[in-house]
This record gives sequence, C-alpha cells and structure tokens, in this order.
Amino acid sequence: MSLISPLALLAAAIIGPIIVAMYLLKLRREERTVSSTFLWQQVIRDVEANAPWQKLRYNLLLLLQILLMLLLVFALARPFFATQGISGRNLIIILDRSASMAASDTPPSRLDTAKATALQLIDQLPDGGRATLILVGGTLEVPAAASGDRRELRAAIQAVALANGGGSDLAQALSLAAALAARDEQSEVAIISDGNLSLPNDIRVPARVSYFPIGNSSENSGISAIALEAGQNSQTLFVQVSNYGSQAVERRLNLYLDGALFNAYTLNLAPDLNQSQNIVVDVPPTVQQVEARLAGSDVLPADDRAFAISTFGSQLNVRLLSSGNHFLETGLSLLPNISLNNPNASAAPLSIIDGAIPDSFPAGNLLFIGPLRSTDYFSVTGQIDFPSLRAVSNSDPVLKNISLSEVSVLKAARIVPGSWARVLVTSDGAPMLMVGERDGRRIAVLAFDLHNSDLPLQIAFPLLLSNLIEYLAPGGSGAQLSPSQTLALPLDPSITEVRISRPDRSQASSGSGAIQIRAGQAIYADTDMLGIYHLEALRDGSVVQRRSYAVNADPQESPIRPQADLRIPQTSGAESTTARNRDGRQEIWRWLALAALIVLVIEWLVYQRNGLVLLRQRWMR
Amino acid sequence: MLDPSFLRKLDRLSLITRRAMRGELQGERRSPRRGASVEFADFRPYASGDDIRQIDWNLYARAERFYLKLFVAEEELNLHLLIDTSASMDWGEPNKLRYAQQLAAALGYIALSNLDRVSVHAIGTGSAQSLSGVRGKRGAIPLFNFMQNLQAGGTTQLAQRCRQYVMNVRNPGPLLLCSDLLDPNWREALTALTTRPFEVTVMHILAPQELNPELEGEFKLNDAEGGPSIEVSADSSLLERYRANLAAWQREVESYCNGRNMTYVAIDTALPVEELVISQLRSRRVVR
Repeated sequence: MSLISPLALLAAAIIGPIIVAMYLLKLRREERTVSSTFLWQQVIRDVEANAPWQKLRYNLLLLLQILLMLLLVFALARPFFATQGISGRNLIIILDRSASMAASDTPPSRLDTAKATALQLIDQLPDGGRATLILVGGTLEVPAAASGDRRELRAAIQAVALANGGGSDLAQALSLAAALAARDEQSEVAIISDGNLSLPNDIRVPARVSYFPIGNSSENSGISAIALEAGQNSQTLFVQVSNYGSQAVERRLNLYLDGALFNAYTLNLAPDLNQSQNIVVDVPPTVQQVEARLAGSDVLPADDRAFAISTFGSQLNVRLLSSGNHFLETGLSLLPNISLNNPNASAAPLSIIDGAIPDSFPAGNLLFIGPLRSTDYFSVTGQIDFPSLRAVSNSDPVLKNISLSEVSVLKAARIVPGSWARVLVTSDGAPMLMVGERDGRRIAVLAFDLHNSDLPLQIAFPLLLSNLIEYLAPGGSGAQLSPSQTLALPLDPSITEVRISRPDRSQASSGSGAIQIRAGQAIYADTDMLGIYHLEALRDGSVVQRRSYAVNADPQESPIRPQADLRIPQTSGAESTTARNRDGRQEIWRWLALAALIVLVIEWLVYQRNGLVLLRQRWMR
Repeated sequence: MLDPSFLRKLDRLSLITRRAMRGELQGERRSPRRGASVEFADFRPYASGDDIRQIDWNLYARAERFYLKLFVAEEELNLHLLIDTSASMDWGEPNKLRYAQQLAAALGYIALSNLDRVSVHAIGTGSAQSLSGVRGKRGAIPLFNFMQNLQAGGTTQLAQRCRQYVMNVRNPGPLLLCSDLLDPNWREALTALTTRPFEVTVMHILAPQELNPELEGEFKLNDAEGGPSIEVSADSSLLERYRANLAAWQREVESYCNGRNMTYVAIDTALPVEELVISQLRSRRVVR
C-alpha cells in the first residue's frame, strides 16, 4: 500500500497535539462546593478499584477523536493498493460475452467474473475519465460510449447477458477500439475474455492493450455435432461427442426419441479432438425429434445437450432458373429430399440462377452460377481466361472436404464483390466463389459456368453442391439453426399469422410484431436461446403448417481453455497483452471516510450517553 | 420564625415520652419520684424526719405501725435540642440549617406549651451557643430569638461535642438531634448520646441536592468544611452509584439507631416543616 499525497499526514502532527491540548484544558474541572465530600469519597473509592478501565473510559472521547482525526488524515493522504489495472483516462473495455463465457469454473460464471473485473476497472477510472464498453460475442454492441457517468457504465456492465450466437470475433471490436483510441492519447484498451477469440493481425492499436484473462479450467466435453438424416425408409441419427479438455473423461450419452429414453452409451473420451466419439444409429421414421444429453455436468453445461428435428418426408423446394443444365440437375437429384421446380410448392426457400439473370429475383436465398451481367449484389466487369482456383480458407464449412486445386476452368466472369460477400475461392484476386448475407437473404455466387469447367466431372462437385445447399437452405428442409441465426421460412401468401413457441414455452407471434412477415417470408431473429422452436403458420385461425427448428450450442465455443496471452500488435511495438506491471490503483479513501463517519457517530453517542440513558429510563417508564 | 397559624396547631400537640422522666420543678409529666399529686403510688415505712402529715392513719390503726402514703410526683420534662451548626448544614436549597432551626423551634414550642423545660445547644466550632432551661410559654420568645441568631461555621466535631453535652446535663430527658450526620464519626456521636438515659430522636436532615445531585461533566467537589476535595467525572452511572451509596448509608444509620433504641427520622428539606411536624412526626410517634 502506498500513499498518493503523503504530505497530508503532516496534518496529523499538527491537529493531534491540538486535540490533546484542548482535551487537557477541558480537564480543568469546574469547581463546586458541596456540603461534604464524605459520601462522594465512598463512591470514588469504588470507582478507583478498577481505575485503569475507568481512566480509559473517561478518555474514550479523546481516543475516539484521535481515531477520527487519524482516519480523516489517512483518507486525505489517499492510500491505494497497486493492482493489475489501468491508468489511462480513456478506457475502452472489450467484454467477451460469447457462449464459452458461461463456463462455471470461476463461480458463478466466467461472465460474472468478467463483469466484476469490468466494474473494478470502472472504479479505478481516474476522475474525469471516460469509458467505452464494447461487447463481443454475437452481434457487436456498444452499450456505453465514451461515458464519464460511472452509474451508467455500471448499469451497462450489469446488464450484459450471454450471447450464444456467433463467434468471438475481435477484429471488428478492435478496429472500433483503435478508432476510439486514436482520438485520445491517454487511451487504454482492456480486453476481458477467456481468450477464445479469433484475433486479427492487420490491426495496429494506437494504445496500450491489457488483457484480463478469465477462467482457469479447460476441462469440457460436449456434443460437437448432431444430425438426423432422412433416408428412403428410415432415419439415421449421427451424434459426435468431443472432449476439449486435457484429461480423459468418461461420460454417458442418453438419447431421447420424442422425449422417451431410447439408448444410453458410456463413452470414454480421450483429450483429443481427432478421437471424438461418433454414434451412428438408425431410428424409426416416425420419430419427430431427438434429444442427446450427456449425463452429469461439467464446467460448460450448454453444450451437453443437443436436439435434432426429423426431416423425414419433407422436401426442400428448389427453384432452378436455367436454360438447361444437365450437370446441375443430376447433381441436385443426387441430394436427398430435394424437389426441383415443384409446381405445387407455393414458395421456394432457394432459387438457383444459372447463367441469365432474371429482371426480378424470387424471394428466398439465391445461388448464382456463371452470372452474365451485373446485379444489385455484385458487378460483372469482364472475363478471366484460364483462372487458377485457390481457396482462401480451408476451414469454411462451405469448402469442407473439398479440394478445388484439380479443377480447371476455361473462362469465368470477373466479378467485383459487394461489401457483404465473403470470398472463399479466388483466382489472382478475382473471386471465383463467394458467399454472404444481404437484405435478409443468403447469397452464393460461383463465377464460372459449369459447362466451362471440369468441376462437374470431379468428386468435389456433389460435395460443393451439398455444402452450398446446406449453407443456403440450412438443415435441408429446415431443421437446425445456429444460435442467433435468423429463422426465415418461405410462406404462402395466404398465411395470415405465424406463431413460434420458444424453448422456454413462451410464445412469439407475428400479431405482436415479434415475427415479421415480409416478401413471402416469415423472419424471426430472436433465436439466441438453445432448444427447440415450434413454428405454426395459421390461415384464418387454423393451423396449416407446422415446423420445428433445433438451436444447438455453437461447437466453436466448446473449447474453453483460457488463453494466458493475446498477441495483438500495438503501436508501441509490443504484441503481448499480459499486464506486465501493476499500475492500477485501487484507492481506499472512501472506506476510510466511511469508517470516520461511523466513528463520528459513535463519538457523538458516547458524548450524549447520559441523555441516552435518561431517554431509555423514560422509555421504560 | 414560625407561622402564627402553625403555632396554633402546635399548641394542640405534645411530646411523647416512653418512660417517666425526672424533672426539677413541678409540672405536668409523670416523674419517677414520689411527690404531691392525687394519684396514689405506694406505701413505705415511716422513718424519722418524714412529714407526719403523710402518715396513713387508717393503716396505722390496722397494723399499729407508721406507714407513709406516697403519691406519684408530676414534674416538668427537660427537652434537649441539639442542633448541628457546622458549615455543612448551611447548604442546600431549602437550607438545611434554616430547616433545623424551624424544626427545633417548633418542637421546642410544643414542649414549652406543655410547661416543659427546653434546653438548646448548638454544635459547631464557634463558641458553644446554648440556651438552657427556658420554661413556659413566655420562654418561646427567647427560644425563637436564640434560634434566629444561630450562626453556622466550622467543622463538626459531632462526637466530641455530643459527649461533652451529655456529661454536663443535669436532668436527662427527651433529646432531639438535628444533624446531617455528614461526619465520619457519626457512630461515636450517636453512641455518646446513649451513655445517659436520654430518649433520643435523630432528625437526619438532608437537602434534595444531596439526595439527588444534579451533576454532569467534570467537577472538582470542594468540601464546605474544608475536607479533602474530590474530582469526579459525573455521568449517570456515577450518580446511580452515589444514590445507591447514600441509600445504603441511610439504612445503616437507621439500623444503628434502632439497635440503640433511638427514633430515626430521615428528613428531606424539600418537605415543609409544618407538614413534617403535623403529619410525619405524629405518625412516627414523636409528638401527639
């Protein structure tokens, strides 16, 4: 503990003797003549029998006053404890609220610990300091921007809730923080997280970045995948259980079909993601929903439970706008449960636009193949001959199990992507395959015509088609959603109302505006809660369509191993973000002042003790 | 000194004595002596020199011996009033000495109106002030004058003075001690009064400020008689202890008196003298 203004202690040297001197002066007693001290002598003799205590008692006021003085002087000297903390005046807190922060290894949860840390940082904020709170995990949110109002900041921190959806992408948050930090020299960025963040390496933060690691356990196992595939006459359930920790564990997996226990498996899980246990089991075609549950509990319970919805018998309607593409039609027909250009279907969730671009796009998601002209979503500026395909990222689910290096292409459209697009395959900077979301619909663009390449002849083609359909129409005919993913269901125009029963049995309805019906689609965005959502479409009060959706925990959030350091480039040249020196100051003068107040009250009560006794006697009477 | 209406009430009262007392002159009280009255007391054989008028001739006729017929003598009573005039008595509101004067005057007047003899003696350091042997209602004037002129001062040497007085008295009788007894040697003083056959009544006079002192804070208490000064930090607990101590002391004095056949009357000067004499002392069987 150190003092900010130790000179204030001198005041004690001045005031202390004054108090004592005044007390000694006051001790000159008032003289009074009594008839005789004969009776008093006996009383005093009793008192003197326990003199040391009595002396202390009569000096109690002096002691209290000196204590009060010492407390006040000590508070004036502003003592503080050096803590890991911040020293800047412009504090930018990046608080991780992703699903992995629900881990309970730092009770009650990592998120609560992170909130407590953030509150502590707010307390350490110097007078006149401002703070910004940025939440990562799910959609980026800034509940408090450059606010000097500690109460508002505290309230904003207290209100932070867990977001199950989306990964913890630090890039957006850090670029925002960098922009904010550039405005003030005394900026400081504090990242409060368990470290399971995807880090950017192209941002240089013009401020010191401190990382406050949360969490101490990496032991977690969970259901990393669940799928219920519909076959011709049966369904196949696929469940994958992974151990993300560093020690082998044994867990029991219970499978429930429509709520009844179907089977239980005891799984020995090695601490290696490549040795995940897979369960493949045939289930009867009548089963509507499957729940897989790991018995017992671990640090992160959210991923111990997963749901799958049967898609047996339901068909995915795909509209194909093409001048005739045998490869495409064959490829689509190989995929299960797809009905192509079904004239009975009222709405198709996915339209494939092969070559020629129509004047207006149908509702639902779009797949462009070899576009011939520009659209609202991208511009076609020319043509590339003999492009060589190169995958930007192999980890993207669309490119899962696909190698495009063998594919030869004769010519492709030169496309300038919009800002919405995520480029997956390029050829010298020009996008060959890109996906993304725009205007509430998912869009994928393949830059070359299938006839101009040997892609349809390769094993990669049906896989790519399957992955693209999976991306554009999640869960085939709609079964699984990731948390916070917008639920979009194509609707017949005659549908008047849509109701959704949420996992916690609360209801949402289009009548109250919670569900939007727009352009032939029902759109519901509040899918952060894990579990099964039951959707009912009503026409004039009678249910005409029922669908269920399962929202399972994002397996990317299951590895909960806390990271000791985050490497973020800073303008100072440093990359490490561990707090090297303890330059936070936890001041305690408020507590001293509070103690002084209490002592003051006690002193006054002691001074008035006769009055109090009198009051009590009167009360007793 | 005393209210005329109060004096009229006092006329109707008289002192109670538990036994016959010897006096000097003829009065209205039964005396242990034999003398002239209408009440027969005893016979005794004639001895030469006796008054032959007292011989009972009827008895002589029967017994052929001379017997004298004796009658109960009725004599005056000697009331002794001892007033403590030490400096400690000149204190309090109402003043203790003034109270003692009034009380002594009232009791003395009662005695005088019953043809008793009253002696007053002031116990103080100053020259021994005393008034001896006034008798009859006309003695009320010198009694009241004497009372009025009593001066307080000095320390009480209660025990010593009491002993002296008791030794010098010729005829013991009822003795009233008006004092605050604020003297470490109060036991010796009371014992001294028992050495001769007085009928002692102790009027223990204390001021309300002594019974219930109102002090708060730091005080240096000076003794009015020059005793040791005492420093106190008065708070409610100290006052509580003082009151307990005082009550214990009063109880001790009372039991000491009861053990020696003295009447003990604890008096708070807040109580008017008139009420004390008319109601309290009557109920305590001091006057009738």
